[in-house]
Amino acid sequence: MPGRIASFFRNLLRKRSVDEALNDELQSTVELLTREKMKEGFSHPEARREALIELGGVEQVKEEVRAIRLGSLLETFVQDLRFGLRTMGKSPGFTAVAILTLALGIGANTAIFSVINSVLLRNLPVKNPQQLVFLTNPDDQGGWFGFVDGKRNFLTYAEFQEIEHKNPVFSGLLAASSFTTSAPVQTETSAQTAELSTAEVKLVSGSYFSLLGVDPVIGRVFTGEVDNVRDANPVAVISYGFWQDRFAGAPDVVGRRIRILNTHYTVIGVAPPEFHGETVGANPEIFVPLTMQSAILPGRDDLSLETDPLRKAEWLQVIGRLKPGVSLAEAQAAIKVEFQQMMEAQAAALSQSDRREFLTQYLPVAAGAHGASTLRADFGKPLQVLMAVVSLILLIACANVANILLARSGARQREISLRVALGAGAPRLFRQLLTESLLLAATGGAIGLLLAHWADATLLRMVSRGPDTVPLDLNPDARILAFTAGIAILTGILFGLAPAFRATRIDLNSVLKKTPQSVSGGSGRTRRVPIGKTLVVTQVAFSLLLLVVAGLFILSFRNLSQVRLGYDGDHLLQFAVNPGTYGYQRAEFIPLYTDILQRITAIPGVSVVSLTSDALLSHTYSESNIRIEGQKANADSDLEALWDFVGPNFFSATGIRIRAGRGIGPDDSGDGQCVGVVNEAFAQKYLPNSNPIGKRVFVSDSKPDGFEFVIVGVAADAKHSGVREKPFPRFYVPYFNHFSLAANDGPSRAVFIVRTLGAPSSVSSAVRGAVKQSASNLPPVTIGTMDQRLADSLATDRMTAELSGAFGALAIVLVCVGLYGIMAYAVSVRTHEIGIRIALGARRSSVLWLVLSQSLLLVLIGAAIGAPLVFAAGKWVSSLLFGVRPTDAATLLVPIVLVFVVSIFACCIPARRAMRVDPIVALRYE
Amino acid sequence: MGGKRTDLLRGTLDLLILKALALEPLHGVGVSRRVTQITGGAFRVSFGSLFPSLHRMEEKGWVEAEWRASENNRRAKYYRLTSSGQAQLKAEERDWSLLVKIMTAAVESV
Repeated sequence: MPGRIASFFRNLLRKRSVDEALNDELQSTVELLTREKMKEGFSHPEARREALIELGGVEQVKEEVRAIRLGSLLETFVQDLRFGLRTMGKSPGFTAVAILTLALGIGANTAIFSVINSVLLRNLPVKNPQQLVFLTNPDDQGGWFGFVDGKRNFLTYAEFQEIEHKNPVFSGLLAASSFTTSAPVQTETSAQTAELSTAEVKLVSGSYFSLLGVDPVIGRVFTGEVDNVRDANPVAVISYGFWQDRFAGAPDVVGRRIRILNTHYTVIGVAPPEFHGETVGANPEIFVPLTMQSAILPGRDDLSLETDPLRKAEWLQVIGRLKPGVSLAEAQAAIKVEFQQMMEAQAAALSQSDRREFLTQYLPVAAGAHGASTLRADFGKPLQVLMAVVSLILLIACANVANILLARSGARQREISLRVALGAGAPRLFRQLLTESLLLAATGGAIGLLLAHWADATLLRMVSRGPDTVPLDLNPDARILAFTAGIAILTGILFGLAPAFRATRIDLNSVLKKTPQSVSGGSGRTRRVPIGKTLVVTQVAFSLLLLVVAGLFILSFRNLSQVRLGYDGDHLLQFAVNPGTYGYQRAEFIPLYTDILQRITAIPGVSVVSLTSDALLSHTYSESNIRIEGQKANADSDLEALWDFVGPNFFSATGIRIRAGRGIGPDDSGDGQCVGVVNEAFAQKYLPNSNPIGKRVFVSDSKPDGFEFVIVGVAADAKHSGVREKPFPRFYVPYFNHFSLAANDGPSRAVFIVRTLGAPSSVSSAVRGAVKQSASNLPPVTIGTMDQRLADSLATDRMTAELSGAFGALAIVLVCVGLYGIMAYAVSVRTHEIGIRIALGARRSSVLWLVLSQSLLLVLIGAAIGAPLVFAAGKWVSSLLFGVRPTDAATLLVPIVLVFVVSIFACCIPARRAMRVDPIVALRYE
Repeated sequence: MGGKRTDLLRGTLDLLILKALALEPLHGVGVSRRVTQITGGAFRVSFGSLFPSLHRMEEKGWVEAEWRASENNRRAKYYRLTSSGQAQLKAEERDWSLLVKIMTAAVESV
């Protein structure tokens, strides 16, 4: 073995001397043979000739010896690489087109994959993430209040404590608020107290960092001690980014204080830079113990044991770490039993039917290595569709580059034959051609990686709802680099294989003797056209697929943007205030809101202003069971309705039309009989064939006694939560109401709706100023225009439509180029034949048809192959579509016609050239 | 070019070269001639196969090469069997006899 290794290095390092030795040996062999021949009676020159013939060519023998040498693979690879670079340099036009095509394809794939990687594939940056198990639903965030059934998203604090106490399968459990809270903070830097600003705060259990195995970069993290006493743990762990931004990375940050709302917290440690909590896409800046809940989320108690199942606050994400040797299935079984027992105990006081419903609850308990994220549910499917689209683009691009390479290998046949004659074997040649393709692909891949980095910024905006981009880590990690390298190599092999195969099957004699043109017209033609045609057919099929998908998304987006919301989005501003969070008492709410309303009304340019409990086009809503006067209560099918508290003038401010009766006015506030307005869906579903006005409705709220109202009007259906919302029974009751402002039960925040006369942005600073004057303790409000909000809510749909449309266009261009290339080539090799046809009296039109029919046949075959793919793809994306069915004739027919038109266009130039063939010129060739 | 070419079984060439070198060190032409001689003129090894084989054996350490003067005072590269080359020759001879035995039995059966 040492001998082999030694010779390996000798061969590599001392290539020249090894080559010289081989040369000497062969020279001496020639001399020995010459001597021998001279003894047999040949003259010296003849003997030497005979000797060379017997040796079989010095160069060939050398090549044979080199080929078996150790290290020859690497050596020839370096040679091939150098040669490949020279070849690329010789035809910069081709090289640029090929590399650009590949860079676009690979770049698009890498960009989409980077997002998929960080949203769907990447593990949390914690210790042994594969041991983590989510007891709760990692795909959701927020909170649930009141009675729930079916799959449970979150746990209450009491439930977490009980499971943590009893659990047999986990080495530990953690709980964290599933959302971050935006709170005003003031940091204490070395010299002075910094300005008031907001930061994202997350509440976590004492076990949070230690269970995840996240070590602080400085200081320490929480221990179980912080779980012990309520409200007595004003300590904080800050994120690396927060440390850098607000404390300028000060090394003595531990011990400094941060004021959040009205409590001062002492910084005890800094989390590592890559750690952003258990939720991918969230960016908590300050971690605070769960026991500080009432200081971070004032006015509520989400920690105490709540015995009434109807009043529970479920808001905690709970994660366990499996004990060594315990499988996920075992953990699921154990938790299922335990949770069932807990639910049985909680349901003891419920009525029979409520109990049955209540006990349908179960915990998801799923593997948690990837962490939590709502991005998965929202963008998982669109991202997968885009990934499929870009991989099809890459395949089409591959086919094009392969086609160009094929055409070039025709032109390179003489060069290749010469090298075969000089002793290059077929495998050697094959390897060299493949190296050239891989070189192209690798260069394309490297540029693609750069393009992807740039494109990812755009994609990030796609997954971000608001003005701020989601803090996703899209920097290329090992997986992304491996992905890019992998697809680059794969594409290199894919488009390089066919040309390499073809080039290495050459009949030497015929090639060297003839001119290049006649070569490609002769033996080359029969073999070339099938490969090229196959590529074109594939391209047509794939591009058809892309065009149909693009068409579906574009139509779907058009439908979405034409949906009638039921209110007027122009000239509408919206902003929320949350005075409870900033130290205001409930009793102060009405005067505050009234004052804000008055001040805004006084602003010139404001037409109407009102307020509501749930923002328009947001994801918060209230839903309750109702009963209507005169109708029998039915235990099995409760009547359900969505509802909002709305201020006076709500309907004129939003533009929701009143169909019958009246809206809610200033006189409806106060302690009198509560009035309400229902929407048309409510009237049609629950009060068909009767006049709803004057009917009484009983609402069984989470409050034990509920409330009731009298219907005074019917409003048009409006889409409160989003464009895709289907009409659902809804009612509106006055915001300023005796029960809405009672302790704990009413809405904790108000959303103001401002209709402006001119451009909404012109009054927003005046509105902000008005709020500041009314409530100086509140941080500056974030004002959004309804148009912007609507555009944001459709951002993903728009992005999917735009991207797939752009890719569809790219696909059709690529197909056009591919078809043009193949037909131009076909015409050039058939010039001779066409010349004869014309000479024999063929009409020009029949020549034209000859060429056109050939390409139309290819397109037809491609379309036939593509059609079933289109159906399958349509089914796959149908859940993302709105108002279009994938089987609509129009969505299928338009792309097919488009492909046909484009292909005829692509063949025009070659067909005209064929038509104009001069028989005399054509026949003079030979 | 010598007209007669019998395709050698894979591995047979190595055995023949080792056998040719067993007696004394030889240069390339010498090996070629010796192989023709010991096979009674049935095999003529082309140099295109001979030299790659010799170089492979050199890398495997079965043969050693040195430059010295030839019979008519020309410098030539002589190949000599090493001890591991001799062991390899023994092994290949044994394998070959076994193969012949098996194949003969198989062909003569029925």
